[in-house]
Amino acid sequence: MYRHHLRRRPARLTVAAAVVVVGLGLAACGPETTTSDETSHILQAPGADQPEGEITIWDRSGDLFEVFEGVIDDFNATYPGITVNHIAVDIDAKLHNTLITGTDVPDGVFLDDAKIGGFADYLWDLSEVLAPYTADIAPQKLDVNTVDGGIFGVPFDLDPGLLFYNAAALDAAGVDATSIETYDDLLDAARAYKAAVPGSGPIHLEQSAFLGQLQLEMYASQLGTSIADAHGELRLESPEFERILTFLDTVREEELGTRAEYLTPTDLAELENGNQVFYPWAIWFSFAPQQLLTEAAGDWRAMELPAWDAGGPRSGAMGGSSFVLPREGENADLAWLFYEFLMFDEAGYTAVWGPNDVYPTGLNTSIPSYQPAADPGTPLFDPVDALGGQDLWVVATEAGAQIPGGAPTPSWWAGAVDYLGNDIQRMLDGDLTPAEVLSQATQSIQTNLVDRQ
Amino acid sequence: MTDITTPSRRIGSHVFLMVLLVAFLAPVVWALLSALKPANDIIRAPLTFDPSTVTLDNYIAMFRDVPIGQGFVNTGIVLVAKGAITMFFAPLAAFAFAKYRFVGKNVIFGAVLVTLMLPTIVLIIPLLLQMKEFGWVNTYQALILPGSVDAFAIFWMRQVISAVPDELLDAARVDGSGEFGIFWRVVVPVIRPGLAGLAVLTTMNIYNDFVWPVVVASSDRMATLQVMLSTLAQNITGNRIGADYATVTGELLAASSVALIPLLVLFILLQRHFINGILAGSVKG
Amino acid sequence: MRGARRRLAPYVFVLPFVVVFLVFSVYPLIFTARLSFTNWRGTGAAEWVGWDNYTYLLTNPAFWNSLGNSGVLWLLIVPVQIALGVLVAVLLNSATLRLRGLYRVAFIVPFVTPLVAVAQIWVVLFDQGYGAVNALLGVFGLPDVGWLTTSTWAKPTLALLFLWKTTGFIVIILLSGLQSINGSLYEAAELDGASKPRQLVSITVPLLRRTIMFAVVLQTLAVFQMFAEPFVVTQGGPYNSTTTAGYYLYNHITRADLGTGAANSFLLVILVMALSLFFVRLLRAKD
Repeated sequence: MYRHHLRRRPARLTVAAAVVVVGLGLAACGPETTTSDETSHILQAPGADQPEGEITIWDRSGDLFEVFEGVIDDFNATYPGITVNHIAVDIDAKLHNTLITGTDVPDGVFLDDAKIGGFADYLWDLSEVLAPYTADIAPQKLDVNTVDGGIFGVPFDLDPGLLFYNAAALDAAGVDATSIETYDDLLDAARAYKAAVPGSGPIHLEQSAFLGQLQLEMYASQLGTSIADAHGELRLESPEFERILTFLDTVREEELGTRAEYLTPTDLAELENGNQVFYPWAIWFSFAPQQLLTEAAGDWRAMELPAWDAGGPRSGAMGGSSFVLPREGENADLAWLFYEFLMFDEAGYTAVWGPNDVYPTGLNTSIPSYQPAADPGTPLFDPVDALGGQDLWVVATEAGAQIPGGAPTPSWWAGAVDYLGNDIQRMLDGDLTPAEVLSQATQSIQTNLVDRQ
Repeated sequence: MTDITTPSRRIGSHVFLMVLLVAFLAPVVWALLSALKPANDIIRAPLTFDPSTVTLDNYIAMFRDVPIGQGFVNTGIVLVAKGAITMFFAPLAAFAFAKYRFVGKNVIFGAVLVTLMLPTIVLIIPLLLQMKEFGWVNTYQALILPGSVDAFAIFWMRQVISAVPDELLDAARVDGSGEFGIFWRVVVPVIRPGLAGLAVLTTMNIYNDFVWPVVVASSDRMATLQVMLSTLAQNITGNRIGADYATVTGELLAASSVALIPLLVLFILLQRHFINGILAGSVKG
Repeated sequence: MRGARRRLAPYVFVLPFVVVFLVFSVYPLIFTARLSFTNWRGTGAAEWVGWDNYTYLLTNPAFWNSLGNSGVLWLLIVPVQIALGVLVAVLLNSATLRLRGLYRVAFIVPFVTPLVAVAQIWVVLFDQGYGAVNALLGVFGLPDVGWLTTSTWAKPTLALLFLWKTTGFIVIILLSGLQSINGSLYEAAELDGASKPRQLVSITVPLLRRTIMFAVVLQTLAVFQMFAEPFVVTQGGPYNSTTTAGYYLYNHITRADLGTGAANSFLLVILVMALSLFFVRLLRAKD
């Protein structure tokens, strides 16, 4: 009664395959093979005094979304004619497709600095509108937003690397963290702590490939270098990177580290119980003592990073975001006004970093990249109770001012995590030496990313 | 029919099946219960459940952060439209394949098999650019039309319809019925169990569809339920900066529960039709 | 007149499918074919690069790694699923089994749960530090396992998800095959004194062969198309150990390397079709 269709399938498959092949021969559809455009992609500010229109702004959901939401009223006090349609979007998943299809393109988007280079073809070059401010913007932020001479993002935050440490635990063990000046001092302090607290792993070793690579860039930024130079040439195989990885490998080899993913429950447990007492990380780690730690909340403090060489820079940048304006957005020029207000107008940046509804004592997980706003003498956010009332503003702005420039981010940075990020983890597994990490990652990134641009 | 005769063998079978049953139900039960626990307890005590601490906090936080109502509306619209197209046109095409001889039949049925074998991910980019050409990005038709008249549905309904005796069709023809009339008034009533199975299967496929909606529905107002779930998940698996693990986990379990409850209820109500439907339509040895 | 309508009818009936097929499958496939010979990145001009994308992939260890990962997943999933499926289907097919309805419903529940939701639940359940699975192992005094953080365990964890999600459906399919087996064969075997396991091997499995093959083909397609599971649960990690063929292809897309992505698409289509043909041939050879 039932027909055994499976028996007859091969013949039909062959026929169908032939149809497809014939179709290919007739191919007439495909991507346009020639479209060169000479039109300018440099954004101009709107001419009107009281510009009107609606702008669509994409932000990541979460606390920052709420903060920006609160600034819109202040913005409208200055520009009553501009309606801000502010939406929370899964930007990583959506932006790429939206730009390719050119449909419902937002006027402004919040984007990780590491991802900006990859989208430059779709974005307005902001070098003209930003010209009045560039001299006052942290050089590191201009570097990461610059592609082939154009600037493709309005720099948002500066994220100086700091050395967070558990002052109470270190004191109890008789280790004086404040005297640490170099990474060698840090290793010595960790050895001393481990001697006092056997079984501890004083220094955090990041286990996420992405964040591990981001932290590597922090250390490198401190030495004024990065994965690739301004021309996109790899420069991993250098004494600077060898030095950083050797430091990490020493922590691993002497068992001075706690290996965990950033602020996962495992990581938090080790922070709470005093096993993990040094956390060299960007300022946004301050979120942990404030929101996540319970037992060890008031015990943590922040200081500048150790220097690689005595007297060298005491900070490097780690992460950070900017605002980009897609060319296909209808009112990109109005969106520029929004970001100009947010970042360069005192009312704007005070509303972002100062006390607000979301953060009654201010937003203290980053500092402004606009230097007039990041003055150690005029704090925007208050001292942090969870850091024992420490004035984080002073520590962070002084550290931020030391971050060297000259560390651009290549457009393929995020893709490099599959190679460099993974190879660092293999080193922390004990399977690769620092030199092997650098040569392998260089070769893979060259073949799979640089050569395929 | 095999009979399980000896008592020891019967007990053994039950132990084996019970272990499987627990394994198959545990993750769902765990998620439904955990979503009702305080967020911190989900992480600190994953194996315990204390009825005195039951809370709706995770659901409240999730409903605040995720426009899940809009997700249900979008999923509902796509489900009804795409489901109707597949439920009508797939059996119709299957009828042609099962009961007619016509030139090109093998080639066209080959096309059905090719479609069956094409991974969705392969066509994502060209389809997306095509939607751009059509001006269909962020529209319901883009969510509905590609992948409608599902190939597996045709393939399977062809099996079901093949079993309908030709004599029934010929009798209807003698009575003066048109070709479509034969399908509508003779075939459809006979294959009703199979159609019921198909309905549940199609509902599930559309409800669970994920890869294509994530790409083509980039705006929140078009996002389906599954797209919203994955957006929420980014807070855990993607960029962790500033995300509180316990809270996000709680919201995620609440959202997952909300997403799976409707299908679970639908399935439990219709399980007899579904299982019998699949039994009616599968390949026989 | 009636005859003409009857000849025309099947064409009208299959027309909607054909239209959808031409517009949403053939056209994009042709587009993909052309794209695979360019270096287009989604914007600006596309440059013709010949076979470059194909040679890049075929000489790239990462490409072969992705196929290898899918192959290992196939080995972890399909044989286990078929064995388990046959066993459960045979037990459920017994008329005297109590709670039969309960089992049937319970086993198919995973199949009707939304994949994305379940994948999220998997992430939470199998977390090394706070997951319920490790907590359960702890109760029995067993050490924590890095389910999602070690390249040893990530594939089995994904395979478990897949097995959990789809085995119920396979059981139902096999059950439908069993129901068409003539019961008198077993009675004869019973008279000859053949044991139950013996009957399973010598009667049930051979007669069920066609249904089993159908299930194998179906699951082979599914395993080699697997994308959402690694996308949600592991993002291809750790160390690309769960970068399946489908997920590797997606990586090119996220890097805007659309030409390479298109070439990868074609290689994957060819592989999937070849595998299907292989299993179908295997079936025919035994006939």
